[in-house]
Amino acid sequence: MLKCKHVVVKADALVDGAPLTRRERFALRLHLLMCHHCRRYVRQLRALLNTLPRNPDSLDDARTREILDKLNAPQER
Amino acid sequence: MDPTLESPEFIERLRQGDRAAFGQLVKGHHNMLLATARTMLSAADAEEAVQDGWIAAHRAIGKFEGRSLLRTWLTRIVINQARMMLRKGGREIQFDPTDEQDALAHRFRDGGHWDHPPQHWDLSGPDALLTRDELRHCMEKTLGKMPDNQRLVLELRDLQGMDFDDICNMLDVSASNVRVLLHRARARLFELVDHFQETGEC
Repeated sequence: MLKCKHVVVKADALVDGAPLTRRERFALRLHLLMCHHCRRYVRQLRALLNTLPRNPDSLDDARTREILDKLNAPQER
Repeated sequence: MDPTLESPEFIERLRQGDRAAFGQLVKGHHNMLLATARTMLSAADAEEAVQDGWIAAHRAIGKFEGRSLLRTWLTRIVINQARMMLRKGGREIQFDPTDEQDALAHRFRDGGHWDHPPQHWDLSGPDALLTRDELRHCMEKTLGKMPDNQRLVLELRDLQGMDFDDICNMLDVSASNVRVLLHRARARLFELVDHFQETGEC
């Protein structure tokens, strides 16, 4: 029987959709069916990861131009 | 991210040396690459690493073969620049996990069952826990204090949504080590949020 401590580690792969063996997946499902603490852990971990800030803004035109200008500088020297 | 930045037509324009296309590339990716470099370097050094990364990418783009996503290719270049800068300063980023315990370890009894199980988090509604400003502030602090190796793996996987195997390849680190680092980073965040739920403090 899988222990909660290990479920918390395996939960990462579950949340990521990483490949688990059929046996691992079955053991995890069975555990989650019976353990509401671990169910809560997985649900809240998912929510947490989904709210992390993603995709920063694109760069403004002035900075983009500065970077492009520096690309050619070494060849001009 | 804008999917046209990975399209074959766009990549072909880049390979032909189209300056406008390269400008679009810089515009679309720069801040993400900067966030990656920033996990390993100071703000000033990160800027320099990404600028040098652009110069390297600009030189090599004609030979880009599309075997990986452009985004992955660029990230690898920037990570290599950052690691080079660290080495120059006599430092290095280690990916072998230390034998520290993760932030949740103290919550389990010896038998491996929860001793101090997670609190209930209010996930919806106008005052949902994860959207509260004080908590966002605490998260930023935790991210800032996280060991570089954990922070980098978290950045690539959970903030930028990169493919797990791509991350292992670009860092040249085993999947099991990346798993451990990612788990530790997530455990820190989970512990923080749960603690905040319980006490209202970071």
